[in-house]
Amino acid sequence: MRTDAPSVSANGVATATPKPAPRRRSPALRKAFPYLLLAPALVYLLVITLYPGIFAIYQSLFVVKFLNWEWAGLGNYSSILQDREFWAALGNTALIGAISLSLQTGIALAIAYFAYRDPFIRGWRIVYLMPMLFMPSAVAFIWKLAFNDGRVISDLLGRLGLIEGNMDWLGSIPLARMTLIVADVWQWTPFLFIIFVAALQGQDQEIEEAARLDGASWPSIFWNISLPMMRPVIVVAITLRGIDITTMFTNVFVMTQGTPGGATETMSYFIYRQGFRMFNFGYASAASVLMLVLTVIIAQTVVKRAFHSGKK
Amino acid sequence: MAKARKSRGESMLVRYLVLGGWAAVCLLPILWFLSIGFRPRTEVITPQPIYWPTFSLDAWHLLMSDWPIAQYLRNSVIAVAGSVVIDLVLAIPAAYALARYEFKGREDIGFYILSTRMMAPAIVAVPIFFLFKTLGLLDSVWALMLIYAAINLSLVTWIIRSYMLDIPKELEDAARTDGAGDLTILREIIVPACLPGIITAAVIAAIFAINEFLFTLLIASTSNAYTMSVALANFTGGSDGIIYNAIALVSFIAFVPILILVILIQKHLSRGLTMGAVKG
Amino acid sequence: MASIHLQNIEKRYGGFVGVQNMSLEIADEEFLVLLGPSGCGKTTTMRMIAGLELPTGGKIVIGGEEMTEIDARDRDVAMVFQGYALYPNMSIYENIRFPLRMRGVPASEHDARIRQAADMVELGGFLDRKPGALSGGQRQRAALARAVVRQPQVFLMDEPLSNLDAKLRQSMRVQIKHMQRQLKVTTVYVTHDQIEAMTLADRIVIMNKGAIQQVGTPDQIYSDPANTFVAGFIGSPPMNLIEGTAQNGTFVAPGVTAPCPEYVRGKVTLGVRPEDCHVGGDNVQGMVYGVEPTGDTTYLTVLAGTKKIEVKAAREYRSDIDVPVAIHFDPAHLYFFGEDGQRIRGAA
Ligand SMILES: Nc1ncnc2c1ncn2[C@@H]1O[C@H](COP(=O)(O)OP(=O)(O)OP(=O)(O)O)[C@@H](O)[C@H]1O
Ligand SMILES: [Mg+2]
Repeated sequence: MRTDAPSVSANGVATATPKPAPRRRSPALRKAFPYLLLAPALVYLLVITLYPGIFAIYQSLFVVKFLNWEWAGLGNYSSILQDREFWAALGNTALIGAISLSLQTGIALAIAYFAYRDPFIRGWRIVYLMPMLFMPSAVAFIWKLAFNDGRVISDLLGRLGLIEGNMDWLGSIPLARMTLIVADVWQWTPFLFIIFVAALQGQDQEIEEAARLDGASWPSIFWNISLPMMRPVIVVAITLRGIDITTMFTNVFVMTQGTPGGATETMSYFIYRQGFRMFNFGYASAASVLMLVLTVIIAQTVVKRAFHSGKK
Repeated sequence: MAKARKSRGESMLVRYLVLGGWAAVCLLPILWFLSIGFRPRTEVITPQPIYWPTFSLDAWHLLMSDWPIAQYLRNSVIAVAGSVVIDLVLAIPAAYALARYEFKGREDIGFYILSTRMMAPAIVAVPIFFLFKTLGLLDSVWALMLIYAAINLSLVTWIIRSYMLDIPKELEDAARTDGAGDLTILREIIVPACLPGIITAAVIAAIFAINEFLFTLLIASTSNAYTMSVALANFTGGSDGIIYNAIALVSFIAFVPILILVILIQKHLSRGLTMGAVKG
Repeated sequence: MASIHLQNIEKRYGGFVGVQNMSLEIADEEFLVLLGPSGCGKTTTMRMIAGLELPTGGKIVIGGEEMTEIDARDRDVAMVFQGYALYPNMSIYENIRFPLRMRGVPASEHDARIRQAADMVELGGFLDRKPGALSGGQRQRAALARAVVRQPQVFLMDEPLSNLDAKLRQSMRVQIKHMQRQLKVTTVYVTHDQIEAMTLADRIVIMNKGAIQQVGTPDQIYSDPANTFVAGFIGSPPMNLIEGTAQNGTFVAPGVTAPCPEYVRGKVTLGVRPEDCHVGGDNVQGMVYGVEPTGDTTYLTVLAGTKKIEVKAAREYRSDIDVPVAIHFDPAHLYFFGEDGQRIRGAA
């Protein structure tokens, strides 16, 4: 038994510590504790996601004209599903996103392959990062000026003898889409590059060295060893980037406004236009709900798997 | 041997062509845009592009006189810094729970938090607009602060969680036998030990907040709440057309601090951008 | 200080039993060592004593008070971890001070106690460094100082020396033992290093697969093993265990015959330590399989039938391999184990 009287040990070190009353944390509190830690963040996120979700579903059942809500049942949905513009926006988002994402992945992998063993890698990394550090709205203006208003791209291509005169970049569907893709690739390839380089640098050097001693060339090492090893990383990075691309809005808003003829209208821009330009809030909400359903499906399948494989 | 050296020489040439080429792609538009910021307005849009403009501070004077640039800057700083503080306060305990406790639904809750990052701003734009309208928060920096915090909360939680997972469990056990309670352990042991992760999360959240466009566009309708990002879109206004040299100047004003922040956390960047899934 | 009683404690992880039905009395001021192979439940047992893990069954009494469900922070038990677990952001001084702060020791006492504890482990000069700037041995001592500083009722040490090199380990071993004697604090020490166990312990607990195999002084454990597991685990090289049959006072296995007590019968295992085997004689007829001179002795491996028998031979013993050799057992030091692995003892 211990005494609470101060005791002096053999060499006169210290007195015993005062004894606090023993705590027996109730099992209920012990169980609840992690939830208590999570509660503030969860409540906040629920308010900001669940509330809008429910609100959007509710509002999507009405035709909203300013303060006047008129019950429409599933009317908004049935008209949306017959709305050519909606399907076009979905298609544009997928097409522009797919091309842009493939280009970014390819370029990022290529420059990462050359950069990660380079002695000046720190310098390259900062330079390559820069486009990503500009505000997206600024980037949109850079390319709007370069393509359209300032005619710089036309001039440069003309000097190379590739084209004559001024191109009307908004005048043709593929060209208008291309300007969006260029802006997105320019700004966001760094995102993938940074991640790929980190993954390559993080790999066990001994494996590469062993392969070199076995006589493999750098390209074949990269292709056969490094790339398969960084597969989980690539999957996570592409997933994150892919999700951001599907929400593309700023470039469309600044550069093309959906022209020509809606060929560059993305889903986000469609919702924005229906809601805040045409004030069809019920209609916009219905589109939001559809997009939300798509997002949930993608999140539950692709993203969940990507993050699981990335963790290991 | 000779052959080996030769093929290595060739690959060096290819390497520097590729690396240098992409560096040019990254830098030239930036440099050219910088030159836009320091040229007279008359030399911005011309029949033939001007590559060697005359130097001018037109844009600067315009910003100083006609546009409350200091106000935009202040709005950005208040909204962004406030949102980062909210995020850290909410995310640190949440990340701790996800990283360290066994409880029912941990995986699902963690994934739910992650998935809020996947939600397109446009999806919640209309409801959020109405929510803030009801709350009377339209056109206020406070609304922006709350929105930015919500956008980044999942990111911040996951980054910090990832760094917390790296802290040896023994450290907490030691603190517990030393007499510390759960919250003391969090405050005195865990938070200091994952400070690099917290800073990384804060910087990345700040960048995303500065960049946020759609919500800001919807919520901010006057210079009361205009931030740098949306103020740019405002330079398009009126009969003057787009005032590119002012836009260029403003984007560089925002670019420089971001660049500095990012260089500071360079080592952690890849891990932060992937929410901890990739260890850099 | 305090005695510790474990009463039928048990730890299950789902269907897996980490520690089963363990009962143990640890006396006040005793130095008790838990020894066993990896995964046998040593750490789990210790963490239950510390309160870091709740047992799924049984009772833990420390210093006469039931502690089974009391939080670790209120047990007044100090633990030294395998990885030291120093707080990386705090200086060594702050590390040692942490338990004092947490337990509400008056601030006026801190400095003196910290310095005394640091001096005790000869770390006085390093107090303002961060753990990252210390060597392994210094970190180890800092962790000890942090445990010592608050004069706990019980010390728990989980393989505290396993990350150190052999020489440092030896000197730290002496230091730990000295400190424990000086402070008279009941200590439970986990290791899988026999030498550590033998040199430090008042009593050793041998564990395997979550269960206690034997409890005894180092001498008892060595000279009176309770079963084949303990016999085969202790000693280096460990005891030879030879399976065979016994009848009429004789044990027989391929290439091996030995006398045995009358009460040993049927399928049994003979145990004999290498140092109780001598070259020459008639117990083993085998071939030399290998010879390993280590400097102060020579280990000889003899192949008898398919069984390899280790013999501690004279220092200068040398032999070619694959030549016949005969071995003699010291009849006073033969051990017999039944089919269940338990020692067969006289009818006493
Ligand atoms: N949290 C857990 N969940 C499931 N099984 C566990 C858990 N912790 C420990 N175990 C299992 O319990 C058994 C005992 O583990 P313990 O850590 O006590 O072993 P140990 O004797 O300390 O081994 P070592 O010498 O390797 O440290 C092991 O088989 C281990 O796999
Ligand atoms: Mg262990």
